Amino acid sequence: MIKFLFKGILRDRSRSLLPIIIVSIGVMLTIILSTFIKGILGDAIDMSANFMTGHVKVMTKAYAENNKQMPNDLCLLDVSKLKNELRQKYPKIDWAERIHFAGLLDVPDNNGETKAQGPTVGQAIDFLSSDSKEPERMNIQKSIVSGLMPAKNGDALLSDAFAKKLGLDIGNDFTLFSSTANGSMAFQNFTLAGTVSFGNSGLDKGSVLIDIVDAQRMLDMQDAAGELLGFFKDGQYHDESAETITKAFNTSYHNEGDEFSPIMFRLKEQNNLGSLLDQSKYMSFIMMSIFIFAMSIVLWNTGLLGGLRRYAEFGVRLALGEEKKHIFGTILIEALMIGIIGSGVGTCLGLAISLYLQEYGIDFSNELKNSSMMLPSVHRAKITSEAYYIGFIPGIIAIVLGNALSGIGIFKRQTAQLFKELEV
Amino acid sequence: MKEAIIKSKNLTKKFPVGNGYFTALEDINLEIGKGEFLGLVGPSGSGKTTLLNIFGSLDVPSEGEATVMDKNVSQLSHGESAELRNKHIGFIFQSYNLLPVYTVYENVEFALLLQDKSTSERKKAVMDALEWVGLTDKVKSKPAQLSGGQSQRVAIARAMVKKPDILLADEPTANLDSENSHHILQTMVELNKELDTTFIFSTHDEKVMKYLRRMVHLKDGKIDKDQLITSL
Ligand SMILES: Nc1ncnc2c1ncn2[C@@H]1O[C@H](COP(=O)(O)OP(=O)(O)O)[C@@H](O)[C@H]1O
Ligand SMILES: [Mg+2]
Repeated sequence: MIKFLFKGILRDRSRSLLPIIIVSIGVMLTIILSTFIKGILGDAIDMSANFMTGHVKVMTKAYAENNKQMPNDLCLLDVSKLKNELRQKYPKIDWAERIHFAGLLDVPDNNGETKAQGPTVGQAIDFLSSDSKEPERMNIQKSIVSGLMPAKNGDALLSDAFAKKLGLDIGNDFTLFSSTANGSMAFQNFTLAGTVSFGNSGLDKGSVLIDIVDAQRMLDMQDAAGELLGFFKDGQYHDESAETITKAFNTSYHNEGDEFSPIMFRLKEQNNLGSLLDQSKYMSFIMMSIFIFAMSIVLWNTGLLGGLRRYAEFGVRLALGEEKKHIFGTILIEALMIGIIGSGVGTCLGLAISLYLQEYGIDFSNELKNSSMMLPSVHRAKITSEAYYIGFIPGIIAIVLGNALSGIGIFKRQTAQLFKELEV
Repeated sequence: MKEAIIKSKNLTKKFPVGNGYFTALEDINLEIGKGEFLGLVGPSGSGKTTLLNIFGSLDVPSEGEATVMDKNVSQLSHGESAELRNKHIGFIFQSYNLLPVYTVYENVEFALLLQDKSTSERKKAVMDALEWVGLTDKVKSKPAQLSGGQSQRVAIARAMVKKPDILLADEPTANLDSENSHHILQTMVELNKELDTTFIFSTHDEKVMKYLRRMVHLKDGKIDKDQLITSL
């Protein structure tokens, strides 16, 4: 019987072609949309991780509580010791110190008088160690608009717009004022090595980027850092391991009573990234549901049209002694076969297009010029294992459901009535 | 008469029409013996199809009863009436109703798919049936490639392939020319002799009548005349 049905589907294009096309288009769109959303959310999360939260992040409890004010007086001490311990305990994670500070940038003229001035947010990362992955993580090389990466102590990068506003050219000197970890005044001269633009208005407003060693010296933070960020070496965020590591770390290092004891947070616990991650999960679920709903209705109707044409066939089959139940069953089996073909085709097409979008992406830089979201300007899809079933299964469910609904029409019809359709 | 294979007692069939009923069959009392070659004869609208449908367990009487192979059709479940049709009853329609996507061979085989038969058993049965109707050379053809006469012969093969006890044919020659009509009637007469199948036709075609051995005349849903033809 199955063989018979399959032959029927292959030969009767009007029975199969339209549903197959509908299912494959639906499946394809679902996959493209889902991989694209996955990609965008994934990029947003990656970017946040790389610029701000790490996959895990260690701070003192007090620093964590006042994070926004960049309170370097509450920084982590003995960072290299802590870093070494963590390196040994968690070999799958890379660790990087960062210092954030608020300050004032002063541009002197030839006589040392102030020519231009502006408030700035400083970010210090490890530019100069030969094994540092920080510049790559922050995508500095590609974000440079003019000049070069810092190559020696005393070199600094500025946001391109900020440098223009201050009238600074590559090679010019300027002075950074801030306060040390002990609360006294800090100032140091830097040379503008290059200007950057990250394509993100939050980052591109008034930042200065300097090497971590310079920051430690200037802010009187020898072997100290505001934050210690951990990144899984494979570049992916693994929430479960992050959670285990965070729990273990906090049990052995964190002391509730001590404001200055280190505490670790995983990515999900920071900057609302948890809800973003959860949303991306719900998103798949919601998309699947909408897809099944909409497709079922479309396929219900195509099923009805196809079914009308087939009343004669059903009549004959009843006459041959087939039970209505059985006919209904074969309609579902046909739906399953059509669903598998359609979903298969749709999944292949969807994956192919997603693959293209994963490789090349779509450039949204114009649309996102003023966005303060942590988003890269070129949006790429991301194919996860989910892409293999997020369209496939709903595609099959939708057509089986659609055909079931239209098949109920057969049940409702009197046997004799169906049979009447045979008389012409 | 041989033992009755179909019986009806005070059979009445009413269809709901508007607020009331339309009586399509009224007080039909019939006994049809095994192996008969019988025609329900009457003008269009006289109730022939309605009666065939009830004998084929596709419909039930409104009043009275119909017994087919010792089973009261009013009391059969869906499954039981399907089984009755599957095992014991073959149908032929005026408009052939072959399944257009399947070949001649597959159309005939379809009738056997619901029975547990091996592929080789099915193959033998299908080829036998196609031989009865003289279409062994058309196994691979599609219905669209057949003439009306050939199509109706395939339909006969499909109805006969499971060697049913009863064959119900609703105006089988209505769409055929006289040569094809005679050919088909001859085939059915042979099958009736060979397999002892009970044939019941509905017809108002003169050409059919001379083959019949019993004619039940219907008029306005009632039996007008029940005529045995002994001369043949
Ligand atoms: N489902 C139905 N509803 C209402 N009237 C019907 C129905 N089926 C048949 N009839 C009526 O019953 C009468 C007998 O019909 P039918 O058995 O098809 O006649 P025949 O086959 O002799 O031409 C006709 O007048 C027809 O209109
Ligand atoms: Mg009729």
